[in-house]
Amino acid sequence: MTMQAVRPSARPMKPDLLGLSPDRLFVVVSRLVALTLIVVTLSILSPYFLTWSNLINVARHAAPLFLLSAGLTLVVLTGGIDLSVGSVLGLAACLAASLITGGSLVLGIAAALGAGLACGIINGVLVAYAGVPSFIATYGMLWIANGLAYVFMQGEVIYGLPAEFRVIGAGFVGPIPVPVLIMVVTLIALHVLSHRTPLGRGIYAIGGSPVAARLSGMPVQRRLMFVYAVSGLMASFAALVVVARTNAADVSLGEEQLLPALAAVCLGGTSLFGGVGGVAGTAVGALILALVLNGMNLLGIGTFWQAGVLGFIILASVFADQIVGGRIGRAGGTTQ
Amino acid sequence: MKISRRQFTAGTLAAGAAAAFGALPSRSAFAQGSKPTIAFFVKNVTNPFWKACRVGAEKAAKELGVNMEVVAPTKPDNIEEQTRLVEDWIVKKPDAFAFVPVDYKALVPSIQKANQAGIPIVMYCNDMTDVDKVTFVGSDDEVFEYEISKYLFNAMGGKGKVVHIDGVPAAFTAQLRKKGFERAVKEFPGIEVLASQPGQYRRLPASQVFENLMQRFPQIDAVVSANDDMAVGIVEALHAAGRSGQTKVVGIDGIPDAIQAIADGKMFATADYSGHDQGYLAMQAAVRHLRGEKVPKQILLPVIIIDKENAGKVARTPEERSAPSWDKVVGKA
Repeated sequence: MTMQAVRPSARPMKPDLLGLSPDRLFVVVSRLVALTLIVVTLSILSPYFLTWSNLINVARHAAPLFLLSAGLTLVVLTGGIDLSVGSVLGLAACLAASLITGGSLVLGIAAALGAGLACGIINGVLVAYAGVPSFIATYGMLWIANGLAYVFMQGEVIYGLPAEFRVIGAGFVGPIPVPVLIMVVTLIALHVLSHRTPLGRGIYAIGGSPVAARLSGMPVQRRLMFVYAVSGLMASFAALVVVARTNAADVSLGEEQLLPALAAVCLGGTSLFGGVGGVAGTAVGALILALVLNGMNLLGIGTFWQAGVLGFIILASVFADQIVGGRIGRAGGTTQ
Repeated sequence: MKISRRQFTAGTLAAGAAAAFGALPSRSAFAQGSKPTIAFFVKNVTNPFWKACRVGAEKAAKELGVNMEVVAPTKPDNIEEQTRLVEDWIVKKPDAFAFVPVDYKALVPSIQKANQAGIPIVMYCNDMTDVDKVTFVGSDDEVFEYEISKYLFNAMGGKGKVVHIDGVPAAFTAQLRKKGFERAVKEFPGIEVLASQPGQYRRLPASQVFENLMQRFPQIDAVVSANDDMAVGIVEALHAAGRSGQTKVVGIDGIPDAIQAIADGKMFATADYSGHDQGYLAMQAAVRHLRGEKVPKQILLPVIIIDKENAGKVARTPEERSAPSWDKVVGKA
């Protein structure tokens, strides 16, 4: 029983398929069970669901949410949290839209990414070096980023962005929407980073046991800095895609983004206690959320019912995964 | 520009006196020849609608020679914060409130306290019951969506397949607007409602919901959207799907990019729910009441439809808009 005190991810790793150790692979596969169940159910219920154009449509909806949740996933893997992602998205969106409509595409993109990175670095310094709990540090940043956006925008809405910028949110390469391509590339990059590099393994180790990580000589503070910086950067990157997609920005753009982003992380099997999960799971989580909305629209579920149905399906998908996934887990002999 | 110390001191004294008179019971401010102060409440500093209200109110305040203080919660639409702000302003005792509640029920006790303190209150935009008010200035959400829907259905020759995009399910305005839509649908038996789904009053969710609906319905003749932000998102979604020109989209509010889309022929029409005019008339009503003029119990703005014909002429920003005529609007009410 003493083995249970050690998290699976803290064990020495034997990377195999996709760079995943068997138990990590299991986490991803078990999440796919929930995703598959939803897909099969919707295919039976609606003849409009299982078409190429609809599946592309769902992937396109999942992409901005995934980008926002991807950096957050790394933070959660270290056992921390970043509550500022939605607000940073809002701030970056306003900066980008304002400067780009002002005539400077490069400056707009640079300012947005720079602001996101700066917010992330400040979060990182507060958490890693000043020892502020991540919940408080990033909650403070949530309001700071909001406040800056309010001051900057003065209640304005910016709209009408140039076509060459809008490509990243609304464009297509062949049949594939650009945001989906960005999602796939980001997923691969972060997946490799977190599973194939010492840095990535360090992130899991910190989440598994920060004390052990420090005692093993790992630069824990630098790694923590890194994940918060990536989270801020990814939030501002998501902002660019969203602005390009909607062709407009206002300060409330990021307002309702935090909880869905956290939900995508958790639905993807990443433990809020850290050390377990990964960005691949988060992609599945974002897809589940997009699928539920798609399904409700296709089935014509009434407006007043939708919030409740969404909550029910989120719980049911986790529950189905626990039951089905739990069995597979035991049969396969992996620790869960 | 040089200001002598004496002038500066005199200015300060005058300002101090104005502040002191402002603290005296209301209605007397005009009589005493000092400038009355009116606290103008908005729901937040983030939404351009409230900025338009503020800009309109500032115009009226300037024209009529009154001080206006804008009161906004830092957390958008926050009930607890607006409650505190109302209490603070009861203590400061301005000559009048021009007030909009962030929640039309939750703020009732606070406004009742302002009533007890004898502060005259002009409600604007969202009305409240169980409180004493000078008047309510606003637009009737139900009538607005009824009129824009009717305008659309007539243009469609009274028949076709229509999708409705709702606002935030819990929002009172969203419920009223949808009722207006349903009333119009009843009058046109040839109109078939394909679906009615929530778009949260916001562009991104609305465009995603509409993209989902396009998967299900190969033919959608028209869309009635409960606000313009969503309508513009729908226009974008149609364009991305290569279905522009097949679907007439209408909204409500008259935000700048919707007017632009209408001028460009991408969107069909909208109903002008002018925050500028509401703010302007609310301030007018408050000042006229302080002057002792009679103000009607309710001032409802007429529905003005913006379509391709007039979209080019409509002012896009609240600053550019001309002030509405009090006599014309009130005469109509």
